[in-house]
Amino acid sequence: MSTVRNVELASAEIPTGFAAFRCNLRRWRVPLSILALCLLPWVLPSQALAVNVLIYGLVAVGYNLLFGYTGLLSFGHAAFFGAGAYTTGIAIGAFGANWFVAMIAGVAVAGLLSVVMGILAIRTRGIYFSMVTLALSQLVYYTALQASSWTGGENGLRGFTVSTLTFPGFSINFLDPLVKYYAIMVVVALALWFVSRVLNSPFGAVIEAIRENETRARACGYNVERTKLLSFVLSGLLCGLAGTLSAMHLSIVPLDSLHYHTSGLIVMMTLLGGAGSFFGPFVGALAFLSMEDVFSLWTSNWQLIVGVIFILFVLYLPKGIWGTLISWRANR
Amino acid sequence: MTNPIMSVTDVGKRFGGLVALSGITADFREGQITAIIGPNGAGKSTFFNILSGALRPSSGTLRFRGQDMAGVPQHDYVHRGIARSYQITNIFPNLTVLENVRVAAQAFRSRMNIWTDRTDYKDLEDKASAVLESVGLGARRQTLAKYLAHGQQRALEIAISLVADPALLLLDEPTAGMGPEETREMVALIEVLASNRTILLVEHKMKMILGLSDRVLVLHHGQLLADGTPQEIQANSEVRRVYLGQNDGYA
Amino acid sequence: MTVQLIAMQLFSGLALGAILIMVALGLSIIFGMLGIVNFAHGALFMVGAYAGLYVASLTGSFWLALVLAPVLVGVFGMLIERFLIRPLYGRSPDDPLLLTFGLGYVLVEAVRIVFGTDGIPFSTPAALRGVVDLGIGFFPLYRLFVVGVVLVVLLLLWWGLEKTKFGLIVRAGSADPLILRVLGVDIGRLWLIVFGIGVGVTALGGVLAAPMRNVSPEMGTLVLAEAFVVTVIGGMGSLAGAVIAGLLVGIAVSMTALFAPEMATIVMFALMALVLLVRPNGLYGRAAPGL
Repeated sequence: MSTVRNVELASAEIPTGFAAFRCNLRRWRVPLSILALCLLPWVLPSQALAVNVLIYGLVAVGYNLLFGYTGLLSFGHAAFFGAGAYTTGIAIGAFGANWFVAMIAGVAVAGLLSVVMGILAIRTRGIYFSMVTLALSQLVYYTALQASSWTGGENGLRGFTVSTLTFPGFSINFLDPLVKYYAIMVVVALALWFVSRVLNSPFGAVIEAIRENETRARACGYNVERTKLLSFVLSGLLCGLAGTLSAMHLSIVPLDSLHYHTSGLIVMMTLLGGAGSFFGPFVGALAFLSMEDVFSLWTSNWQLIVGVIFILFVLYLPKGIWGTLISWRANR
Repeated sequence: MTNPIMSVTDVGKRFGGLVALSGITADFREGQITAIIGPNGAGKSTFFNILSGALRPSSGTLRFRGQDMAGVPQHDYVHRGIARSYQITNIFPNLTVLENVRVAAQAFRSRMNIWTDRTDYKDLEDKASAVLESVGLGARRQTLAKYLAHGQQRALEIAISLVADPALLLLDEPTAGMGPEETREMVALIEVLASNRTILLVEHKMKMILGLSDRVLVLHHGQLLADGTPQEIQANSEVRRVYLGQNDGYA
Repeated sequence: MTVQLIAMQLFSGLALGAILIMVALGLSIIFGMLGIVNFAHGALFMVGAYAGLYVASLTGSFWLALVLAPVLVGVFGMLIERFLIRPLYGRSPDDPLLLTFGLGYVLVEAVRIVFGTDGIPFSTPAALRGVVDLGIGFFPLYRLFVVGVVLVVLLLLWWGLEKTKFGLIVRAGSADPLILRVLGVDIGRLWLIVFGIGVGVTALGGVLAAPMRNVSPEMGTLVLAEAFVVTVIGGMGSLAGAVIAGLLVGIAVSMTALFAPEMATIVMFALMALVLLVRPNGLYGRAAPGL
């Protein structure tokens, strides 16, 4: 049983005062989040940073579904992110697919991979889960490294570009930074809406019960393994989607996208922002990427600073930035 | 006994070299309150775990309403009508009291629905509220479960298993850690519950058991030492020797 | 494909397995007693190698490095337990995992700063160079040495656990920590020592591996994954499992390298996936932390 880091109360009555404000905040969480994302490119120093926040924020949101809400600490989600990215790149580069088909393919492959990995990983007892997910995703990494004729091996996948997004009737210039941002934001917004629905659903209640007390959830009549698998797959699909966006944004897929370093990055961002809260993952992505931007100007060893900050967060601020903010205001 | 609701035949359980239970045979009649007593280590928890599907017996069979329960996964037990409460409070700490019970009720309506809003199932909230009222927690619905006092957490513990409306209710030391007043309330609750279901009860408080139960099973070293009415058990010299002498009243 | 070649490759697998066993042992010891998975494990292996490098370059003696480096890193491990992991007691079981992961990150960067990002060669000590004629073929002396050291460590561990009072306390404590408290055992000191030993064993693996691999800040990356694979296959918290799984993986990888070198690393993970299908708790898995 893992202690939850942030709680979003499922209230039954109409509460008053701050609780009411918070309840309404929860109901408006999707539009408010989208509003914040709309403003992002105007607030941040660079568009590149803004796009990265979008993409990694989405990865973290997908991951948060499994980690923050279901309570499963996976260290292998880079596999889904990378699978989505590579599939999209290969679909466009090697098969000449159009961007939409490539995205769907990317998400589908990531989903399939998450079914396979999930079935293997969820069979194991809690403490094994993190190790198994890390090891299984390394299997994917080394396979991609070896299949260099498809993936480009150590050098990563190149040779594909998305310059315009064609729709029936019109097209969008994907090379314009601002247009690219908002195009990606539309996808992320749709994903956020999807996640919000899932969290509000009966399934959303079940995964929280599992996080709180897995054995009791089972005794209450829930097939815990199947529920975990569904959560695993949903988060894999979302991370895969983020991967497809990353591929289309960068026109390159580095091999490292599949390495457990990337998985660790995802975990760090989610925790820094606030696992188990809706908007926390974006805050975490923003915090992490901003730190990278700023610290790397001072020193090439910025990772050391970020690592230390992460350790401090685990020790003293386990709820993350956003999560701590929410609970401060709740306790006022 | 015609058609017992639950019957165990020659049930045994080993953990590696340790024999926790052996040769347990008993039939449980519908509508009765049966107490299971025995010294610590007698195998009561193991027995309960087997009855509720948390453990598979190493030998013997378990039949519920005539159906062999071998191979039935644990999460299906409650759907068949067997629910259990735990000796060590086993609730959902960071969910509200209401949600604790509502999510338990939800298991009978929907388990994998990822699309509709959970508040659409209004009847679940009503059902949960009703059960909470019956155990005296109505006023604490919005409190996070981890902030409840011990006695209230025990009440929540029972409420979660109650909302399943089970035909067979297994209560594992429901009055654990409770004083005389709270124990009396719990006994009254159990009597109300027993009016339309079968109850199996593990307890240490002898006076309570002898007054409440229709039948008593005594376990000792994993075996069934005695099986009879409270009066028969009290008169049984072996039981007195092993167990009754050590414990009396609200110990 | 002569018998000789296969036999040689088998021995190679033995040496590889020996290192894997060291690494998995360290992980299992820590999990068995404290119930936590140390995600800084690979980084500590790497730190061990660098510590060995440092001591050897300071003193000129490989043997001193072999003894001192694990002790130094073991003490460092104790500091980690006392000041970073102990505060997490009672919180979510994921927290030590997360913290040690961050720690691994930090350690790698710290080593990069101090020793640079390039790999440093660690030459095999003069006394251990050369080959030995084993009848079926010539086998590098150093690898035999490694196998020998691991055997000694295994014997010491077995003796320590089974025959000493300290070992008795450790075994009891891993089965039921509460009992120790009740009996007045200082469990904090126990954790400290066990964590130190676990880290020390891993660091020893790093020193032993140094002449066989390039000593670089990244050398622990694959090691972490390898340790997990061996532990999952063998069963968490089981020393026998770590040994058998380590040998199994070492030989599997070595034999695959003979026929299809590019598949060697993949085979290790595929083996784990296979074991997971059949025995999700590993070959010797236990239901609770314990040695």
